Amino acid sequence: MLGKCFSVLTLVSFVFAIFLGNTEAVAVGAIDGAAAAIKTVISLSGMMCLWCGIMNVFRKAGLVEKLSKLLSPVLSLIFPTAFKTGNAKEEITGAVSANLLGIGNAATPFALSAMKKMDENHKKTVATDDMIMLTVLAASPVTLLPTTLITLRRAAGSLYPYKIIIPVWIGSLVTCLFAVILCKLCAAVRNRKL
Amino acid sequence: MIGYVSSLIIPLILCALSAFLFFDKKNYFDAFIEGAKEGLSVTVSLIPAMVLIMTALSMLSASGAIAFIIEKSNGFFEKIGIPSEILPLILTRPFSGSGANASYTQLLSETGADSFPAFAASVIMGSGDTLVYIISVYFSGARHVKNTAYTIPVSLCAMIFSVFFCCFLARLFY
Repeated sequence: MLGKCFSVLTLVSFVFAIFLGNTEAVAVGAIDGAAAAIKTVISLSGMMCLWCGIMNVFRKAGLVEKLSKLLSPVLSLIFPTAFKTGNAKEEITGAVSANLLGIGNAATPFALSAMKKMDENHKKTVATDDMIMLTVLAASPVTLLPTTLITLRRAAGSLYPYKIIIPVWIGSLVTCLFAVILCKLCAAVRNRKL
Repeated sequence: MIGYVSSLIIPLILCALSAFLFFDKKNYFDAFIEGAKEGLSVTVSLIPAMVLIMTALSMLSASGAIAFIIEKSNGFFEKIGIPSEILPLILTRPFSGSGANASYTQLLSETGADSFPAFAASVIMGSGDTLVYIISVYFSGARHVKNTAYTIPVSLCAMIFSVFFCCFLARLFY
């Protein structure tokens, strides 16, 4: 899947580079991109260590269990397999709560270990419904506190930086519901075929 | 006020952690180390896939393809209710978070932070995330998976829906 993604993106950039005369920029871009990947991973690894460590402490203390009990009526509808088998249940709860709190960066470590656990569990080459749901939810999260946006708006001299909050609530909630419903529909169609 | 509350979330979580580490009953420090090690090994296993995909994304933005599409399709997007000023944002957002932040900041300074395009862009920015980036990072955690099935169509549909719906909301609230 990633391989195909890479081929399409590279082909498109190659064609446009020739066509627009940007070949040199693309050559530099390839090198910069590879370097940027390492930079991203390095900055991510500090966060991964911290959040996975915190998660493990909270799990030992029984906090995660309490939170997942609180969220489980909703989450067991969204992630049926994970909540039935208990596999990756805690990580999914962590990822979803981090997204709700508006700390998307903290959601990534939870989501990654959830993906890894689900993958180890069934070892198939096709993504499961729960994996897809987790990814789609992360790509269209419900935003309660758009702090970065408000900060950027104020920095740009906006007189009403907070004016966006209500439309952002509605927009992100409706988008999220739309994505979840679409996911469920696709899952239903796929499972009927199998 | 809201900015203040949200700035407290992460410090509060860390304070909770420090409380656990201070009143150490169940060897919480070892639990932290164990979890952190696991986190590190997951990150290291991400590197090869990340290098591949970020190289491609960087080449794409350097090739000028996105700027070309915006230039050629101008006028069409205005007709379907999307201000053309926010096109660079919509097209960079799926690929790169920092790229989207950069084009958002640029948009704010060009059109004015309280203009309609800036307002619509803010709502769009708040209602979605960097799609391609998230899909590639998340699935690099699941190394057996070769076929992501309906992940990309569903998230693309959600993104397109989000852009239209947010422009509509922006007109409603502006």
